[in-house]
Amino acid sequence: MKHLLVLLLIWISAATASAQELYVNTEPASNMATNSLGIRVENQGYFKPDFRNRSTLELMYGASKNLMVHGSLYESNFNTNNSHFEGGSVYAKYRFLSVDSVQRHFRGAFFAKVSAINNPIINQEISLEGDNSGVQGGVVFTQLLHKLALSGSASYIRGFNNSRDQIPDGYARNAAAWSLSAGYLLFPKNYTNYKQTNLNLYFELLGKANPGYGQGYVDAAPAVQLIFNSQLRLDFSYRTPLWNDMTRNSKNMYLVRIEYNIFNIF
Amino acid sequence: MKFLKIFVALLVTTISIAKAQFTKAELQVSGLTCSMCSNATEKSLRKLDFIGDIKTDLNRNLFIITFKKDAIVNLDQISQKVQSAGFSVNSLKATFNFSNVKVSNNYHFNYNGTLYDFLNVGDKTLDGPVAVTVLDKNFVPASTYKKYAAMADVPCYKTGIMNGSRVYHVTI
Repeated sequence: MKHLLVLLLIWISAATASAQELYVNTEPASNMATNSLGIRVENQGYFKPDFRNRSTLELMYGASKNLMVHGSLYESNFNTNNSHFEGGSVYAKYRFLSVDSVQRHFRGAFFAKVSAINNPIINQEISLEGDNSGVQGGVVFTQLLHKLALSGSASYIRGFNNSRDQIPDGYARNAAAWSLSAGYLLFPKNYTNYKQTNLNLYFELLGKANPGYGQGYVDAAPAVQLIFNSQLRLDFSYRTPLWNDMTRNSKNMYLVRIEYNIFNIF
Repeated sequence: MKFLKIFVALLVTTISIAKAQFTKAELQVSGLTCSMCSNATEKSLRKLDFIGDIKTDLNRNLFIITFKKDAIVNLDQISQKVQSAGFSVNSLKATFNFSNVKVSNNYHFNYNGTLYDFLNVGDKTLDGPVAVTVLDKNFVPASTYKKYAAMADVPCYKTGIMNGSRVYHVTI
């Protein structure tokens, strides 16, 4: 924990000259280009006590310069013995603030998410990424300083009964979530063309709490990202709790994701 | 009466240069860092039918645009494409072919029904390709726009409209 914090501080102080905000575990305040489509295929999972994994198909679309929407479908064996289709979610992000200058910007966005899931509810964590039906609303701010991008978000989540299973008595129905993310563009040192492979490093802190229930967690999620041909993105992340007081699946998870972007489809 | 005065003034100061045109532009975009963002912006710009070719300087977020010969260039559409890609125009220097045109402060020239008003220039004669920098809203950072809006004594700087037609404010 201490080492991670020191690393983060060194990272931030050393890198003010230069960044990336294509975060792996969170969304930045910036949007995709209008009329562009991003296609993501993702696998997340853990190996203890036994191997379980979730696959996600996510489509992202830049609807206007300020609005983008995502639609996701989930399949996993997290909460059941067999892998099955769990349901889906829709996410929208509206950018309300942009202060741009060359290689620098500060942006703010509102976001909202709705999910409909058919899993049994066995966790204290309310997670709209395949585990729970519910709604989420929040705000995110992102500061880009050349090669370093910093981002912070705060949101409120309301869990609903899943399509077949109700929230058990004594389980929280409300959660507060937050995140802090840092991203750094390591390579290329100098851009000469779009074919250069980018290497980005990320460090994210992800937290959630169920107010009034004494349940919460703080996770650290370092990540590496490669971008090929300015179009294809490959993400690897590992997520581990710094502190945990909540029953959930998402402890010590790996994440592998491939994302392909099609710009200007219309 | 006031309208008539403006109209007469326009007749005197405006010279139509219908045959001349924009040949190229140097566009600097702000807010960009990743090559994916530049790629999205370039693909967005290439959708404009008057753009012939684009070369990029990714380190400086510069797009060197060559316009198609005899195509009608619309600078507003360039700014809109940059914004729809999620970014802002930091500067736009467009090269226009002049042929022996005497300009002075607040001199207007007409290109395809659109007016271009010179701000902050002394008396000089322009001949051949000259790069003009656009000073209007959505072509400069918000702070620069505010600075010019406070300084400029022409009301059309804020509206971008003069006698019903689009007017850009440029300097050299």
